[in-house]
Amino acid sequence: MSHDKLSSMQIRRRTLLASMAAAGASAGLSTLGVSRAFAQEPEKPAEIIVRAWGGSWVDALKAGVSDSFTKATGIAVRHDLTEDNEIQPKVWAAVAQKRVPPIHVNWDTTTNATKSALRGVTEDLSDLPNLKDTTELAKPVGLDGYPIVNTYGYVYVLAYRPSAFPNGAPKSWKDLLDPKLKGRIALYNDGIGFHFPAQVAGGGKLEDIPGNMQPAWDFISKIKEQQPLLGEDPDFTTWFQKGEIDAACTISTNAREAKKNGIELAWVVPEEGAKFDTDGLWIPKGLPENELYWAKQYINHALTREAQQVWLDGLGLPGVVPGLTPPADLVDDPSYPVTEEAFEHLIRISSKVQVENESQWFAKFKEIMQG
Amino acid sequence: MRTPRAAYPVTWRVMDMLERLAAAVWPSSFQRGLPYLMLLPAIVLVGLLVLGLVQIGDTSLRVLDTSTFLMSEDYTLANYQRVLTENFFATVAGRSLMGSLIVTAITLLFAFPYAYLMVRTPSSALRKFLLVALFLPFFIGQVVRAYGWLIILGNQGMVNEALGLVGVPPMRLLYNYPAVLFGLVQYMLPFAVLMLAPALTAIPNELEAAAASLGAGWVRTFRYVVLPLSRPGLVGAGLVVVTLSLTDFAIPAILGGGTQDFIANAIYDQFFRTSDQGLGATLSLMLVAVGSILVGVVFMLFGAGTLAMGETRK
Amino acid sequence: MGVVDAVQPAVEPRDRIAVSVKDVSMVFGNVHAVRSASFDLPKGRFLTILGPSGSGKTTLLRMIAGFDRPTGGEIFINGQPVSAVPPHGRAIGMVFQKLALFPHMTAAENVAFPLKMRRHDARGIPEKVERYLDLVRLGGYGSRRINELSGGQQQRVAIARALVFEPDLLLLDEPLAALDRKLREEMQLEFRRIQKELGVTTINVTHDQREALVVSDEIIVMNGGSIQQKARPVDAYRAPSNAFVANFIGVTNFVEGRVVELAGSRATIEANGLHLAGLAADATLAGGKPCAGAVRAEQIRVAPKDGHLDGLETVVDGLVVDCIFEGERVVYEIRVPRLGGVLMRVFDHDPESHLQFGPGDAVRLGWNARDMHVFAK
Repeated sequence: MSHDKLSSMQIRRRTLLASMAAAGASAGLSTLGVSRAFAQEPEKPAEIIVRAWGGSWVDALKAGVSDSFTKATGIAVRHDLTEDNEIQPKVWAAVAQKRVPPIHVNWDTTTNATKSALRGVTEDLSDLPNLKDTTELAKPVGLDGYPIVNTYGYVYVLAYRPSAFPNGAPKSWKDLLDPKLKGRIALYNDGIGFHFPAQVAGGGKLEDIPGNMQPAWDFISKIKEQQPLLGEDPDFTTWFQKGEIDAACTISTNAREAKKNGIELAWVVPEEGAKFDTDGLWIPKGLPENELYWAKQYINHALTREAQQVWLDGLGLPGVVPGLTPPADLVDDPSYPVTEEAFEHLIRISSKVQVENESQWFAKFKEIMQG
Repeated sequence: MRTPRAAYPVTWRVMDMLERLAAAVWPSSFQRGLPYLMLLPAIVLVGLLVLGLVQIGDTSLRVLDTSTFLMSEDYTLANYQRVLTENFFATVAGRSLMGSLIVTAITLLFAFPYAYLMVRTPSSALRKFLLVALFLPFFIGQVVRAYGWLIILGNQGMVNEALGLVGVPPMRLLYNYPAVLFGLVQYMLPFAVLMLAPALTAIPNELEAAAASLGAGWVRTFRYVVLPLSRPGLVGAGLVVVTLSLTDFAIPAILGGGTQDFIANAIYDQFFRTSDQGLGATLSLMLVAVGSILVGVVFMLFGAGTLAMGETRK
Repeated sequence: MGVVDAVQPAVEPRDRIAVSVKDVSMVFGNVHAVRSASFDLPKGRFLTILGPSGSGKTTLLRMIAGFDRPTGGEIFINGQPVSAVPPHGRAIGMVFQKLALFPHMTAAENVAFPLKMRRHDARGIPEKVERYLDLVRLGGYGSRRINELSGGQQQRVAIARALVFEPDLLLLDEPLAALDRKLREEMQLEFRRIQKELGVTTINVTHDQREALVVSDEIIVMNGGSIQQKARPVDAYRAPSNAFVANFIGVTNFVEGRVVELAGSRATIEANGLHLAGLAADATLAGGKPCAGAVRAEQIRVAPKDGHLDGLETVVDGLVVDCIFEGERVVYEIRVPRLGGVLMRVFDHDPESHLQFGPGDAVRLGWNARDMHVFAK
């Protein structure tokens, strides 16, 4: 019964949004201008809460999306820096107990967000007007509609300290096996980003994922002999800055952050390829209707070219709206793929496969690394 | 002469009124129920804990369905089978257990002379200094302290810089098992000293003088008099340190460089990284079981130490 | 001093001396706990150091035991200087004030402890422990835990433990202070019996003058860190060397006045216009100087106001203020108006005359001249 009510509400809202978009377009205004054009918009909450990653990540979001959203709507944006994996059970519990969720918008990895979508705790975002201007990257693969909107892509590059590679940039992930690098390399502590290139470096095929990943495990076992450090995003920046490591498989943003702080660093996509993945924004179910409306407006705003340009300049990552200008230091950079050719070197595995197997891969990686 | 009542402070009369009020609300015939009433908060607290354990027990019997990310409806022992058969869990459990035992041994070794000096020194200035040095770390949380060690022991940290001055190249002091144990010992030391100090205070100075007059040098006085008599303190301190180390999360997470997980870290991963609450619940219960068995064995071998409280020393 | 005939030989042969304390001082910060104390103790004797708390008696004992090192002087045990020898290197048995028995051991283990620590032949230990438990009448109690023994039994274990290794010297640091009176008196006799049986040289510290008189061969009275007198109990009692000793041992009445005449051992004092004859007990007495005449409570006799006190040189009138029945004796408190209203205490041990006077009765007091010791003030 409640389901019927919900869907009818959704239809009503969808029509409303569509008409608003049309009006906005005809008036030649940005979507946010629409809010001014329409007198009958839902009541504005004092603030909306957006979960974000800390450090340079939240700084970029604030500069690109949140500040301009507040300016246009008068709604303050509070950033909740709870870790993505810690907010997840809280949101799940809130939805299961039919409580109002603790956040309005979750900035999440597409894989994690897909888990929430599969569990059915995400609002459908198909009716966001700005979706029509986005590239195919914005659409989550293997899910119906838009329970998540992907907002940018990123590459798990091989970041390295050039002084530790006097013979030139590393060409292969196998270069990490150099005895010189023992104790001087780092991976994510769940191995994320490393499984797929390891499959190739170990002599296996990407098509065998997830059926036969033995080559990946063999390669990871060899890497284990190198005594890698295992960490999370901020760790990589710190470790590079403090001279703890010389090479890492990490999202380019973290390496770029250390480089901005004056550490000499570079990164490559090795010959085996590098994992390409996306992050997105989604809204948990159970928000009051007016707050849901404005949360959607926030995501819709994040898909405007202006917001994407500033946000992703900060992150140094390619967005989902055509016509963005790459930051000067990342033109033709392998971590900022824009051309078809650039994408050829990158490994993309569907979220569905990742979501279904991640726990096992994670457990296997841990088993090898903790052994 | 004024009435005697006027001579009493106002607070006394307020107390009288309160007492009369209390007598009306809680007549003296109910007096015997009072101790039980005061136990109520503790019972509620423990009750909630038990309720939580029951829920965790229920969750531990369900597996995660990765196509919907919901826990299964029916019960299964699959999680227990995984925990008991997969190498990874044995490794982590072994590391935690061994670690907590080593940490306990080293901590007691360091805490004993500290506590002894604190209790026995005739200089009150030294005693105050030792007390302050002991309590100061309590005001700095363990996470902050662990980050402090990252700064001190890092490749560009103070220790390596000092070594550099004498020509030793920087070496990796962090992100390994010894670093985790070191961090835990540093974290546990105040707990152990605080548990030991009362036990040592309870040993009369005269006993040591007596041992000396009977022909025992300080080594044998320590071995035959001080050590046996401080056993209750050592057992109490050991139990606290072993359980806190066994269940610690932050120190292995921060000083272990991701490769030195303890059981608590594995539990965290299940709950927050793979969303597998069933496996997480199973691991939690196993940790409770291992900890309880450990404490039980210590109780059986050495008695409950200072934690026995009312019991007379046998 | 030395008014009463000195029985002891003036000097003991050197090899008969067990403990020799020479000019020993102890200064804690600016407190002089012991001021240049000297004495010799012959072997086999039972010496009691008697004094009020803070007199330095315990400090002196701790220095002999080796727990504190003198800041001046030297202690010799069997002729050897011991200041540099730690307690466990001295052959001294000690019974502590709170006994300091090891609560985690049985009675027998406590007694065996010094034998093990001093590396006696392990085979002989059980037999020896049994023998010493028998000596303190605790045969068969060896397997008891300390907290299963009564206070008196614990005392006995402590004595056995201090003696079992046959030390050169036994030190007793007021071990009886905490006992009730009956048990204390029983243990005093026990100490004396054991000491005589073994012939061990013993130094006992106490503030209980009765204990000192009962158990000791010799007494040292200390006050303010200084030795006041060293004498046999009977001599210390009968011939105290100064007002402090006279006051500390026994119950003594003081009559204050001035010396008017000194003739040999006889001194006449003037108090409140009365001339009283006494024994010059202080070498520093001089004519005209202020002094105090000391008379023990039991050496004063009481008679009815019109009664006769034959043969007593000093007789004064008094008024009974209080009379206290103590069983074997009666204590009268009597005000003497002619001596400035001084309150005198008098013991009456005569069962026949018990309670013959009550408060308010007028009485007559008298004592012999030789029983009033005159000290300089």
